[in-house]
Amino acid sequence: MESSSRQIQKVLNDGAQRLLARASDSRSLTRDSLAPRISAAVDKYLLRDDPQISEAEIAKFIDELQADDLCLIIACERGDEHAWNDLVERFTTTVRSAARSASSNEDAAEDLAQSIWAELYGLRTRKDGAPASKLAYYSGRGSLAGWLRAVVGQLAVDTFRKQSRLVQTEEDADLDRLAHDASLGEGQAVLASIPTPEESMSNRFAQADMQQALNTAVQELAAEDRLLVKLYYFDNLRLREAGAVLGVHEATASRRLTRIQTDLRKRVAKILIDERGWTQTETEKSFAEVAQHLDIAQI
Amino acid sequence: MKEEINNEMDLLLRRLGRRPETSAFDGNGDVDHLDADELSAYAENVLPAAARARYVTHLAECARCRELVAQLSSSAGVVHVAEVAKPSVPSGLRKFLASLFSPMVLRYAVPALGLILVAAIGLFVLRPKQSGDDSIAQKTEAPTSTSITATNTPDPNSPAAKTFNDQQRQEAAGKPAPSSGSTGNQPAAAAPETTGTTSQVADTSRDAKAKKEEQQPVVNEAPPAPKPTPASDEVKRPADAEGRREASSVQVTAEPPRANAVEVQSAKIEERKAAEVAKARSDADANKGQATFGAASSGIAARSRAQSKDDAEKDKNEAGETRTIAGRHFRKKDNVWIDSAYDSSKSVTTYTRGSEAYRSLTADEPAIKTIAEKLDGEVIVVWKGRTYRIK
Repeated sequence: MESSSRQIQKVLNDGAQRLLARASDSRSLTRDSLAPRISAAVDKYLLRDDPQISEAEIAKFIDELQADDLCLIIACERGDEHAWNDLVERFTTTVRSAARSASSNEDAAEDLAQSIWAELYGLRTRKDGAPASKLAYYSGRGSLAGWLRAVVGQLAVDTFRKQSRLVQTEEDADLDRLAHDASLGEGQAVLASIPTPEESMSNRFAQADMQQALNTAVQELAAEDRLLVKLYYFDNLRLREAGAVLGVHEATASRRLTRIQTDLRKRVAKILIDERGWTQTETEKSFAEVAQHLDIAQI
Repeated sequence: MKEEINNEMDLLLRRLGRRPETSAFDGNGDVDHLDADELSAYAENVLPAAARARYVTHLAECARCRELVAQLSSSAGVVHVAEVAKPSVPSGLRKFLASLFSPMVLRYAVPALGLILVAAIGLFVLRPKQSGDDSIAQKTEAPTSTSITATNTPDPNSPAAKTFNDQQRQEAAGKPAPSSGSTGNQPAAAAPETTGTTSQVADTSRDAKAKKEEQQPVVNEAPPAPKPTPASDEVKRPADAEGRREASSVQVTAEPPRANAVEVQSAKIEERKAAEVAKARSDADANKGQATFGAASSGIAARSRAQSKDDAEKDKNEAGETRTIAGRHFRKKDNVWIDSAYDSSKSVTTYTRGSEAYRSLTADEPAIKTIAEKLDGEVIVVWKGRTYRIK
């Protein structure tokens, strides 16, 4: 075990050395100043999922890190003013652009951008007294520009959510109630269009059963399929955007979604038949009726 | 059926999506969301597979992180697509080929290839005709670029014109030149034989044109003893469709270009012919008397260059002899003033100056008298739709 960790340490040191050699500006960093950061990244993205991963895989991972970006950030973290100036100069536009995208107006965007630079510079301090700079969390795996956009996005979402929570504390309960009523209301809307009380009752139960079965079926989907369903139906993203999140082309996302729909229908039918005692005919009929009523309700 | 299924599921899923998500992660501040590094690395698709799968599981349940990743993925779109495409390349040539020949691709590719094949065959079949036209277009362009100006058209009775007309008849009849190894170039070689004059000819084109001239006797042998035709027959259109192109050039040469609105294409052909003749003239030594029609059509294997030079010389002498009298345009050819409106296919009434019939005619049509008096020698005039030859 100990020999294994020693071997990994050697791989990390060698990797750090190669990274410094790759960087166009190593900013006077040493192998020892880089190794801990690289080690953290390897732990986070490799060893956590596969502690027995090969040294070759680790070396490959290190060789794929963004050498220049990582050196710049570590130099900033170590108080290199020249590096800091470079960082600000190179990424002011990126941060401002991301802040504009995440803000409702120019003032808010400017405030957000300033907050980001303050966070990066480490004006805040941790409980142990050390500066709480976000720079410590950049691993070099992705691009520095992407990381900065993510930092801006996170801060914007958290700030917005915090503000929303303050304003809507009282309203949340009402909203939840409304949402609950709405879900029932849809059933009632269907109810209104159904002539006999027996049929209406039957349909309402059928709809509730089906919705519950669908929810279960969605939860049972593979994570990637479930993510696609959530992105498309819950977050209302376009297929192109959903595909981008999954790392696939829009057409692939579309085909995958069609397959998932077919798969979900089978799963729902199976749940209804196996667990709720429905017949095949009842299942087919309910699918058609529920879809029809939903269609009308949406119009 | 499948569409209906998907439509039903689509509606049901949309309804499910409208419900507030009851995820354990959502609204729970204690849950560990993806940090900025994880978010950006995920969005840029640069995570190891196992780590990525872990984050997918989280994203499937966490609306907050999904929102951020969606934003970042859109921002990093270009990089993302490029990096996504990479893994498929080393995955093997076999996969690539398999994708090329997959039923989905073949479904569209096969009909498309079929259409392309049909179009290619069609083009190939039609090509000979087009290439013939193309050759004319190319050849007509060359002389126009050498600042050649056609000033006159040849006398149809001139040996050169006769030679050309012989060629026209030969070509119109579709007869191959028996002794010519360059029958494919025949139209190109024959066309320049028509007469015309130029003011300038570029020196650079002379050699090539002289060579063409040397080939022409071979072409001229082609018709098996064609009968010399009178001037009135020379402008007859060849009946054969193949000869239309040549026929149009004959018509052009039979009419004064200044008096008529000649079509652009015909004008170009005429210019080309004029250039050829001018070329011959540039080399000529004024051996006028040697040229005879008989020599041109006698079937001798190689006509002397002097003859063609002489033809050109003769044309040169006749060039520019046009007159306009009483609204009629005349051009002099072999001492005959010919009306530009003259149509050889129409019958001609001949009158002799001083005859009773002539006096009677001129009494009715004084303009004809004016014309006959102002133009010496024989005159062919078209008047009120009739053609008169005044001797």
